[in-house]
Amino acid sequence: MRAGRRLLNILIGAWLPVLLIYLWWTASAGSTNPYFPPLSEIWTRFQELWVFDQVPIHVVPSLQNFAMGYAIAVVVGVGVGALLGASRSTYRYVEPVVDFARSIPAVATVPVFIAIFGLETSMRVAAIAFGATWPILLATIQGIRSTDATLTDTATVFRLTSTQVLWRVRMPAAMPIIFSGLQLGLQIAFVVTIASEFLGAGFGIGAFTQIATDSFLILDAWTGVILMGLLGYLINIIFDIVERLSLRWYYGQKKLA
Amino acid sequence: MTAEISIRNVSMQYPDPDGGIKHVLSDISYDVTEHHFVSIVGPSGVGKTTLLRLLTGLARPTAGEIQVQGQRISGPPTGLAVVLQDYTRSLMPWLTIEKNIALPLKKQKLGKNETRERIESSLQEVGLTGTGKQYPWQMSGGMQQRASIARALAVRPDILVMDEPFASVDAQTRFDLEDLVLKVRADFGITTLMVTHDIDEAVYLSDEIVVLHGRPAVVRDVVVVDIPFPRSQIETRNDPKFADLRTHVYAMVRGLE
Repeated sequence: MRAGRRLLNILIGAWLPVLLIYLWWTASAGSTNPYFPPLSEIWTRFQELWVFDQVPIHVVPSLQNFAMGYAIAVVVGVGVGALLGASRSTYRYVEPVVDFARSIPAVATVPVFIAIFGLETSMRVAAIAFGATWPILLATIQGIRSTDATLTDTATVFRLTSTQVLWRVRMPAAMPIIFSGLQLGLQIAFVVTIASEFLGAGFGIGAFTQIATDSFLILDAWTGVILMGLLGYLINIIFDIVERLSLRWYYGQKKLA
Repeated sequence: MTAEISIRNVSMQYPDPDGGIKHVLSDISYDVTEHHFVSIVGPSGVGKTTLLRLLTGLARPTAGEIQVQGQRISGPPTGLAVVLQDYTRSLMPWLTIEKNIALPLKKQKLGKNETRERIESSLQEVGLTGTGKQYPWQMSGGMQQRASIARALAVRPDILVMDEPFASVDAQTRFDLEDLVLKVRADFGITTLMVTHDIDEAVYLSDEIVVLHGRPAVVRDVVVVDIPFPRSQIETRNDPKFADLRTHVYAMVRGLE
């Protein structure tokens, strides 16, 4: 019964992508426009490059930078956010800075990081971490600050210390809000991962696509774009699964309400 | 008989939003005798909840002091447990019932077996044996409030403070929970303070009823409920004494006497 329902959901979700791919496939068949090669050719080239010949050279370094930068952003964003959120007075001093920093388009910081770190991997990781930190930080501060006073009062009367109240009550209570920041940060991290490779990188999906475009290898460039789309999609799916598992209590409660 | 809790000349003022000062409590003095069940009643907005926040150490009086077992309190005192009205916001929704009960026990550094034993025995006391693995939101309101009582009992408190504990459940459940509280009281003799707006409930459960009245609130009267224990929903409520006390307290709460 449940399996049948799941299958039905997949079918409902899949019909539009399938239709679009079909339309693209048929419309592009026999195309001679060098910028819009037939999808069948893109697909053949995609398999040559990415199943899995070039994966270690281009996909692995991109994902490494992405994972490293995002991990730093999560640790800094959640850690610092929890401390700032817990202290009302500190946040008041920091708020304008946070508001300013998060308003900078993350991609625009890449040249600054190049100036600081040079064209190194560390530059890319730093740019990814910088961009992704702000939404996570902000969501964590908001989540911690909005904890229901009844929960914290109860814990306080039961003589939990303020540190225990922060990590055992306010933090878990804030998780649904923190996760929305984590998702925003994830998307920014992915964009910056790709964008940071457009300048001065030899390896990485962004670099591959950029170089292919510059060299008029349009077919290769198309495969790069499709690969980015697929990876981004996959990363989001993984995130959703992690969120669902971590917030089981939250979704369970919502379903009954 | 000794005083478990001593409220001495307690006054409480708040700065109100328009820049003035709001006098909530004025020179309240009252001693709670050990093992007694005391209800605090009064018209809504009279400052019952404020008094409760002072008793639980969540707030400090602007004048006077509160002593628990002879010690002036400056924060949540040891050996005090609470049951609040809004169980949905007082039990942690991300923890199962048994983990909710275990949370305040962390403070007491009990062994694993002792913790387990406390959880099991307190669940049994409130008639919730076998529900430890459920989440609060999977239970009915009455069961959640039983779980809150179990959490309070598990810390083996000397004092139990309850804030309108049965205000959010239906009438039948309310009677059941009242009888549960009488049973707990008979079993453990915990000194209990309950804030309620339900006069019948106050008479049914209490040894003494403190009537607050006025702005700022003063102790209008202390009514001794000389109805013998054990009490029962049918007999006690039909006792002519019950009706007299009920009428007397009602008139005072309304300011008619």
